[in-house]
Amino acid sequence: MTLRGSFAIWRRDMLVLRRSILSEMVAVVAYPLTIYLAFGIGMKGYIGLVDGVPYSLFIAPGLITMTAVNAAYNESVWSLWFHRRVQFTIESYRVTPISVSEIVIAKILSGFTHGLTKGLVVGLVLFTITPFRFPLEHLASYLVFLVPGSALFSCAGVICGTVMDKPETIGKVEAVFIMPLIFMSGLFFPLSSYPAAVIPWVRALPTTALFEGARQALVVGGIPYVFLLQVTVTALVVFASAVWIFRWKMSE
Amino acid sequence: MSPQNSSTAAIQVRSLTKRYGELIALNDFNLEVERGSIFGLLGPNGAGKTTLIRILTTLMRQSSGEVLIDGLDPQTHGREIRTLIGVVSQENSLDRYITARENLELHARLHGMESERYRRRIDELLELMGLAGRQHDMPDTYSGGMQRRLVVARALLHEPRVLFLDEPTTGLDPQSRRAVWEYVRSIAGSMTIFLTTHYLEEAEQLCDRIAIMDHGRLIALGSSQELKDKLTGGTVYQIDFGGQIEHYASLLRGMSCVKAVEVSEQSACVSLESWECLSEVVSALNGAPVRRIALKERTLEDVFMDLTGKGVRE
Repeated sequence: MTLRGSFAIWRRDMLVLRRSILSEMVAVVAYPLTIYLAFGIGMKGYIGLVDGVPYSLFIAPGLITMTAVNAAYNESVWSLWFHRRVQFTIESYRVTPISVSEIVIAKILSGFTHGLTKGLVVGLVLFTITPFRFPLEHLASYLVFLVPGSALFSCAGVICGTVMDKPETIGKVEAVFIMPLIFMSGLFFPLSSYPAAVIPWVRALPTTALFEGARQALVVGGIPYVFLLQVTVTALVVFASAVWIFRWKMSE
Repeated sequence: MSPQNSSTAAIQVRSLTKRYGELIALNDFNLEVERGSIFGLLGPNGAGKTTLIRILTTLMRQSSGEVLIDGLDPQTHGREIRTLIGVVSQENSLDRYITARENLELHARLHGMESERYRRRIDELLELMGLAGRQHDMPDTYSGGMQRRLVVARALLHEPRVLFLDEPTTGLDPQSRRAVWEYVRSIAGSMTIFLTTHYLEEAEQLCDRIAIMDHGRLIALGSSQELKDKLTGGTVYQIDFGGQIEHYASLLRGMSCVKAVEVSEQSACVSLESWECLSEVVSALNGAPVRRIALKERTLEDVFMDLTGKGVRE
């Protein structure tokens, strides 16, 4: 299989992103920055150190990761739904000599690129205008988590955008599954806060591996390999599922 | 790519059946479309037209039967077929977030065209379709007619051998519709055109051969004139009366050579077994206030209604 079609569609998606980059970034930065200011600055006097680091430093990596995975998920789910149900562009792609797999890979790549770009922009803004600092040499190991993490959520977005025909269902899935998964993964509090019986279950979540691993990579440095393996394997499984589900849906 | 077979048929459909569970959308459907011709497919809503076109354009698989597009089987040569076909779907399916030119460029890249070739071809098509001046605008700022012309340009970009037009003029004003017709006529002969439409005038104006389908089956096939000839089997006259129309309509209904009488205001449409019956009818109407007797030409719409019925389909 060639990826000519994937590249052409990804290029189109990047052209659209480039055109709307300023308005996109304002919206993308506003939410995590507000949370950072409200919780990181506003609450730091009450919370003090968490896992040995100031609260604002504890939540910052999670906010960057959350921005990246949210952006990856949202781009994939809404783009696929819109192109499939509103614009019918998926249909126009399907009568050209590219495979269905190339279309789904393009959408996954686009979601992934959105996630990575927006996550890095939020990281840069937090780095520039808040006291949040991290050693720059930790950035590479952090990216090792952010890449499969964004890909994982992009694939999840592709699955939802493929199987859901109504936009309100997409909103409900985000409220019921995606946001709880992110918030339960130790974004705002350490996992040790959970009751002991719950901790193994929370640790089994790929989102926990992603948020915990990414935080450790950025704040402490090094790569927690078990977490990385967990995120990568999940991303691969969800990728294969996304391709299969999209192909199945298109053959209906 | 060279033609895959020596047959004169660009499209061959044999015993094609498509089932959706219990529902049979296409039922043992057979069809041949000659290379270089304009072929029209007519049918009421739910007749199976969309299912057929989706199978022919590789978007859907049949339950059984055989389809060949330029000698290639869509089930095994889908990618090759998609290089040979251009598709204008019912929906415009234009990307409203990129310009008209970018829409065409994306399509060209999906077809693997070289940039030098597609740039030249896009310039030609935009000029031809009268869209060159608006090529850097987003398609949603276009009128319906312009959007349709852009979709046609997109389908022609890679110079297909078979062009599928699925209701290409639905929703267009008469001027835009005629502009699309003129363009279709201008490219006729250089490629095979397979057209579905609800506008019978469109089929009559454009198509060399017309098929009428209903309930997943082919029920008539021929040129517009052949279909009209098949239908009549008798002659229809329109008789305008100055008054007492119900009385004379009832008189005509009682005649053995009169098949049917339809009354509308002061006019009666009288179907006769054959034109020889006219003298009998004229004799019967002796003394009646007849204003005019005219032979009523059968239209394709008459054929369509006769074959598919007058009931509204869901």
